[in-house]
Amino acid sequence: MTAFQDFSKGLFKENPIFVILLGLCPALAVSNQVVNALGMGAGVIFVLLGSNIFVSLLKNFIPEKVRIPSYIVIIASFVTIVDLVLQAYLPTLSDSLGVFVKLIVVNCAILGRAEAFANRNNIGRSILDALGMGIGFTLGLVLIALVREVFGAGTITIFPMGSFDGVIRIPGLVDAPVMVLALAAGALLVMGYLKAFFNWLEMRRKGVRA
Amino acid sequence: MKLGIAGIALRLAVIAAAAALALGAVNSVTAPVIKERKARELQEALSSLVESGTIGDKQVVEQHPVVQGFYPVSDEKGEPHAYILDLLSIGYGGEMKLLAAFSPNGRVESVVLMENEETPGLGKKAENPEYMEKYIGTGVDTPVPFRKDDLSREEADAVTGATITFRGIGTALSEGSEYVKEQLP
Amino acid sequence: MTYIGIIIMFVFVNNFILSQFLGLCPFIGVSKNVDSAIGMGFAVTFVMSIAALTTWAIYNFILAPLDITFLQTITFILVIATLVQLVEMVIQKTSPPLYKSLGIYLPLITTNCAVLGIALIAVRSEYSALESFVAGIAAGLGFLLAIVLMSTIRERMDREWVPKPLRGTPIAFITGGLMALAFMAFDKALLNNLVG
Repeated sequence: MTAFQDFSKGLFKENPIFVILLGLCPALAVSNQVVNALGMGAGVIFVLLGSNIFVSLLKNFIPEKVRIPSYIVIIASFVTIVDLVLQAYLPTLSDSLGVFVKLIVVNCAILGRAEAFANRNNIGRSILDALGMGIGFTLGLVLIALVREVFGAGTITIFPMGSFDGVIRIPGLVDAPVMVLALAAGALLVMGYLKAFFNWLEMRRKGVRA
Repeated sequence: MKLGIAGIALRLAVIAAAAALALGAVNSVTAPVIKERKARELQEALSSLVESGTIGDKQVVEQHPVVQGFYPVSDEKGEPHAYILDLLSIGYGGEMKLLAAFSPNGRVESVVLMENEETPGLGKKAENPEYMEKYIGTGVDTPVPFRKDDLSREEADAVTGATITFRGIGTALSEGSEYVKEQLP
Repeated sequence: MTYIGIIIMFVFVNNFILSQFLGLCPFIGVSKNVDSAIGMGFAVTFVMSIAALTTWAIYNFILAPLDITFLQTITFILVIATLVQLVEMVIQKTSPPLYKSLGIYLPLITTNCAVLGIALIAVRSEYSALESFVAGIAAGLGFLLAIVLMSTIRERMDREWVPKPLRGTPIAFITGGLMALAFMAFDKALLNNLVG
């Protein structure tokens, strides 16, 4: 497998959210605003990079029998770092992600990469794998958030810059949004229809009649 | 390489100890920043509520479901000219914390919504200062609005989809107003 | 808040799956038939109640007094992993029939967000020991309720025609979404009117 494939498989072919269906709890819970999805994605990329690097470096030091607890310790350390840094320097984001920052620990996507990739590959490939999976996760998350926020609130919230307050308001939708999409039920519905859409694309690609 | 149970335990302990040390180091940097930020946010919220006067220390109120405590605000002569109440109410997503300034006769002067778990785009709108305008000036001659019927048509439309947030804030403010009238000098 | 209030809150109002998105992986993955849904539901309830109590003790007797609450996440997840192992061994020794029905689900529970979720939420809500325990049971029962309802719907859906791209997980998510809509009828204000 080439270096490019190490990176790109996480983006589409093995996209953690839409193809492998891993790490769903945080994906759906924080997908109410684009800014939260980006923040969560950045957190996951950081933790995934850290855990893949350390697991790959320590693969000969970590005893086989206690490898899962060891991975969990490594992952939990990086999650705590993200949590503390967010609380200190990005309090608004920290508030809106809430308990889900800590729950990155049990994001199966991260433990899965440690177990399935980083513990048997060198550090370079592990970094590419982490970046690909992390960015794939973020893309999936932002897509769900985009659908939910545009239709559910009529806005797109990103970072405030200068005189721009960070909120793009979509004329027409902002006054009469489909509120249900902003609520918990909306997340599950959007996820279901997006997954169905990707299945349909895949079927068309393979030439199967839907 | 074969490791005995002691070797395995030792290596796991080394990993855990290294992790704890690293986190301790990060925490020693972030803890003071977090503490200072929280204190500053509270100060900013308090001083945004009153235009003048000195804000005194918080007095904790026990045994009241809504009023958790108050900060007396005194003018230059040391006379109390307002109270900032720390209020707890229930919204759609759970508890909401409010800070509200009342004049000594129980009139709502200004309100900010602090910690809350309301829905973004709906109840979270109450974090905007404009949201609170409908409450300002109520509590003495006109009651604090907490039903949709108490509002004008436009105001009622604005809280649609977040009625429970609106009712929660209104109820807490009217309790606060009563508390100022009855309990505070 | 009263114990009844906590139970109603975690079973209905803040149902872990349908309003908090905690434990979604097993909700979608292990809800294809009713039997395994019941097994998973009880295994989760069991571990959640013990985990909530244990992590409460660790937080209040070790982490808080030593002022090392920043180690919360790391200790909680290790405690849960150890606990799941212990529970597995104890059940295997003492009750082989129970082990046979719950055993295969136990390893999956370590990475179930719901278990770490209840531990973190109980600490954040400053619950007492008994309140944490009750919250753990209630959140587990909420999980059980949602996953069993889901599996019965999915069993019936197997006999219906579903457009091809929607088959499998997509229709499961949409079903979950419709269930979540129904559960929106339970809200905090209603809870407050019921139990004060």
